[in-house]
Amino acid sequence: MLIYVVKRLVLMLPVVLCVALVCFLLVHIAPGDPLIAVLPPDASAELAEQMKHVYGFDRPLPVQFGLWAWHALQGNLGTSIATGRPVAEEVSRAVGNTVMLAAVAATIGFALGLLFGFLAAYFRDSWIDRVVTTVAIAGVSMPHYWLGMVLVIIFSVVLGWLPAVGAGPGGSTSWAWDWAHMRFLVLPAVTLSVIPMGIVTRTVRALVGDLLTQEFVLALRAKGLAETRVFRHVAKNAAPTATAVMGLQLGYLLGGSILVETVFSWPGTGLLLNSAIFQRDLPLLQGTILVLALFFVVLNLAVDVLQAVIDPRIRRS
Amino acid sequence: MTVAANDIVAVARADKARGYWSLVGRRLARDRVSTACALVIALIALGAVLAPWLGLADPYQGSMIRRLRPIGTAGYPLGTDELGRDMLTRLIYGGRLSLMIGLTPVALAFVIGTTLGVIAGYLGGLVNQAIMRTVDVFYAFPSVLLAIAISGALGAGIVNSLLSLTIVFIPPIVRVAESVTTSVRTLDFVDAARASGAGPLTIMRVHVLGNVLGPIFVYATSLISVCMILASGLSFLGLGTKPPEPEWGLMLNTLRTAIYLNPWVAALPGAMIFVVSIGFNLLSDGLRSAMDVRS
Amino acid sequence: MTSLHLIRIALAAAISACALPAVAETVVRIGMTAADIPRTLGQPDQGFEGNRFTGNTMYEGLTVWDLSAADKPSEIIPGLATGWAVDAADKTRWTFRLRPGVTFHDGSDFDADAVVWNVEKVLKQDAPQFDASQVGVTASRMPTLRAARAIDNMTVELTTSEPDSFLPINLMNLYMASPAHWRKLYDGVAASVADPKERSKRAWDAFARAASGTGPWKMAGFVPRERLELVRNDAYWDPARRPKVDRLVLLPMPEASARTAALLSGQVDWIEAPAPDSISQIKQRGFVIYANEQPHVWPWQFSRIEGSPWNDLKVRKAANLCVDRDAMRDGLLGGLMVATTATFEKGHPWHGHPTFEIRYDPDSARALMTQAGYSKTRRLKVKVQTSASGSGQMLPVPMNEFVQQSLAECFFDVELDVIEWNTLFTNWRKGAKDDAARGATAINVTYSSMDPFFAMVRFLDSRMAPPVSNNWGFINDPEFDKRVAAARHAFDPAERDRALAALHERSVDEAAFLWIAHDVGPRALSPKIRNFVQPKSWFVDFSTMTIAN
Repeated sequence: MLIYVVKRLVLMLPVVLCVALVCFLLVHIAPGDPLIAVLPPDASAELAEQMKHVYGFDRPLPVQFGLWAWHALQGNLGTSIATGRPVAEEVSRAVGNTVMLAAVAATIGFALGLLFGFLAAYFRDSWIDRVVTTVAIAGVSMPHYWLGMVLVIIFSVVLGWLPAVGAGPGGSTSWAWDWAHMRFLVLPAVTLSVIPMGIVTRTVRALVGDLLTQEFVLALRAKGLAETRVFRHVAKNAAPTATAVMGLQLGYLLGGSILVETVFSWPGTGLLLNSAIFQRDLPLLQGTILVLALFFVVLNLAVDVLQAVIDPRIRRS
Repeated sequence: MTVAANDIVAVARADKARGYWSLVGRRLARDRVSTACALVIALIALGAVLAPWLGLADPYQGSMIRRLRPIGTAGYPLGTDELGRDMLTRLIYGGRLSLMIGLTPVALAFVIGTTLGVIAGYLGGLVNQAIMRTVDVFYAFPSVLLAIAISGALGAGIVNSLLSLTIVFIPPIVRVAESVTTSVRTLDFVDAARASGAGPLTIMRVHVLGNVLGPIFVYATSLISVCMILASGLSFLGLGTKPPEPEWGLMLNTLRTAIYLNPWVAALPGAMIFVVSIGFNLLSDGLRSAMDVRS
Repeated sequence: MTSLHLIRIALAAAISACALPAVAETVVRIGMTAADIPRTLGQPDQGFEGNRFTGNTMYEGLTVWDLSAADKPSEIIPGLATGWAVDAADKTRWTFRLRPGVTFHDGSDFDADAVVWNVEKVLKQDAPQFDASQVGVTASRMPTLRAARAIDNMTVELTTSEPDSFLPINLMNLYMASPAHWRKLYDGVAASVADPKERSKRAWDAFARAASGTGPWKMAGFVPRERLELVRNDAYWDPARRPKVDRLVLLPMPEASARTAALLSGQVDWIEAPAPDSISQIKQRGFVIYANEQPHVWPWQFSRIEGSPWNDLKVRKAANLCVDRDAMRDGLLGGLMVATTATFEKGHPWHGHPTFEIRYDPDSARALMTQAGYSKTRRLKVKVQTSASGSGQMLPVPMNEFVQQSLAECFFDVELDVIEWNTLFTNWRKGAKDDAARGATAINVTYSSMDPFFAMVRFLDSRMAPPVSNNWGFINDPEFDKRVAAARHAFDPAERDRALAALHERSVDEAAFLWIAHDVGPRALSPKIRNFVQPKSWFVDFSTMTIAN
């Protein structure tokens, strides 16, 4: 077991380096001026050249990459061109906000997903199953950012129950776990939870449904085991794949929230990325993508290890 | 992927019996929901393909005085959009781009991903490590992020979207393919083939591929709706299709603010994406059930 | 009762009167279109919206715009300088008299040294306070300024590279930040940071979080990317412009439908640029739409290089006569646009008396095109580059499609090349001869017409062709150059106005652009807000408004 973990960790290193390289390249092959944020359109080309030199964009690409990677290792992700603030600080604040949103969305999505999935599997082919499956499929088929906009119209504009945008009455830095702040989380989290809910429901339904038809379950029931004990066996068998799927969904929530964050102006990494892309703020873009990607790499590793712990058969030589 | 692996074993054994696929076909046909979905999708696809010959209005021709007319206006059965263009036409023509952008990346990723995954799964060892670690690098990026980053880098446009979406869907398919291939590799009939002297390519092509294609295909079809939604998301952010091309995601974007004037028309493109996605998802489910030998 | 007793009673009464509940703080919450809070260290980014919210609120320049009236053009008036004059003998030297008794928010005095310090923050590369990130938005707007020198405590001498009568107007863009406050922050940077450039960077970063200018509003709270809170500056030097509202909360909301939802749900009291289609809903709910003609022009800039179809005056005039601007205004923009007849409309001191009247006259347009050799069968192919969105671009794609369809009636075949906003800017700077233009013979980039350089000189002067400035089409007309020079060297304000009007007249008669629209800067306000004036400007004065609780 330990050897497996160590091996995966070691293999992670070249992956991390490649991730950094891909981040850097992605951002630098983009057409357009990296200094668009500090150079208004009426600035002359001479001024543009001058500024390029000051910011170091006229150095050869490998040199730029080397410098960036070296600084990144020390925790310095550079300075945002548009705002002049250190990138690491912006990203860490944004990551905090996204993790909060993702955690709440995951809780809602997974809880409902597990519940619906088990219900559908136990009452297979009944009306409960049909209702649940319809809801789940609707969840994964809906363009969720659009659902968000519709929810805003219904709950903010028409009913006035919930706020339309933002992360709290005083901004995200003054967050508190009380209703005045949490009401800002409701719509974005619900919107974001729809797809994971659907996917978890379908996966669990398929998994558990299969398991319930297998011989060992029939055998356990024939032996006279109480239904709850049978349930525990079923759950344990379903756990590895379910965990894998939920882990993947967590990753999606962390990285894929950009659309929802744009609609709700939730100050997370998605919104940061959106701004960085459209302002062509290279240091910010590189830094955000790198942090998100690294998060995901670690998350993938954790999910794999967890799977291996739960189901020893998964470990491959 | 334990459940998938069990599937493979069962399917592999069943495949020995002749007419497995015709059995699947018959079971699918009997499943009313799947048939209905297939019909709906076929209808939409047919409409999209035959669009120029259906006698519809010009999808690019608009008029300022006809903006945002409601559904049921004379001459404009589904209303008009924010530039006065007929919605029915735009939706049908939009199907061409939207379906293509939804299907092509998945199809391409299916071909490329299955190839890479089977090779990695069968050969194991260094080849496996090389392929899987490369896949890991791209897997390190959440799909939405990767699609947006690539599209953001390459610029808006259909070709760039197709490229970025294909790149996004290759890693998950490679992973699934590798996973199921690894399970099949250890089965008796594969050992037998190897013992009889067959080379690795032959074994992969003849014995392994046939058995793993099914579940991978089912998985891939479940990705179609994700691809469509992701593509529409790219257009939503201004990174996908460029105006004035009709495409459901782009229409959803440009009709966003029209939601205050004419919410039903503004909802139509979203409804189309929704219907097609549900169709593919249900079809994918039905296919999986039909291929499930044990029930 | 003894007098002492009476006094005690009086005192008690007075105290209880004072113990009445305090009046609640008046707050106005504003949803901006910017995606992030514009920079707060003195020179805002994000274009004129930045100046509007984090420039003219917390800071001022030597000159400022008069934002008090809605019915007349907005002109330059004294700000932190009370008067200025150019040296009669050497027209490159200006003397500015500064306003006495002005203090920065941190309490330090505003004086000539502060002016010199602020000029050097962008012009002197070896000054400790030099900040490259602020150069882009300042240097290009005052291209001739070279140096500043303090003559005495309240007098400053500014030197230009060549005689330039536009200098006082350009100076409204150089905002005065507090040197004393900056120096304190610089000294406060950890001693472990040795590199002076790094220290300077950190000092500016800290300054941005704790701004200090001379403006009517002070920074009270700042959450990067999410919210900026400004409170009234009770020590502001002009009592008439001390704000009536206690607090402004500025929130970035780049997404138009989200912004509208925020207003309609009561989350904010004021939004910038509501989506035109939501205006009727907004009005129905009782909100008030303010709009006024802005010094903003939405044009096509023509390429005038060798071989361009726009080199024929008849073709240029025909295009201008072939667009029904009123239909665009009423049908497409819900009335939120002013149809142009030129860069400056009648009534503006720089309008002049052009002879070519721009209006909707398709018959005359077709006649001109026929004279130029085109017809229904022999059509003129033109290509225009524009963007899908962007600040000030209004609704670029629908509007361009409208123009495309209009010009089709006059034998034009228009091809639209829609590219990304930032790329469009870069191409604008590169010019029509560059490959980036991709064969486009026109470019659609909107511009501000607040000052002479921005409004005309950078497009019409042949020396302003790329890479120097934005004469994208390479207009090269000696008469234009002559009139620009005349305006630059006319130091008497009335004479300068006449010279600028002469330049403007010629640009209209030569149909230098395809003029389509002026933006009206629409904003939607809660009915509780009163006494707000929207001038004919990009900027507004937040000091006069009140809000009922």
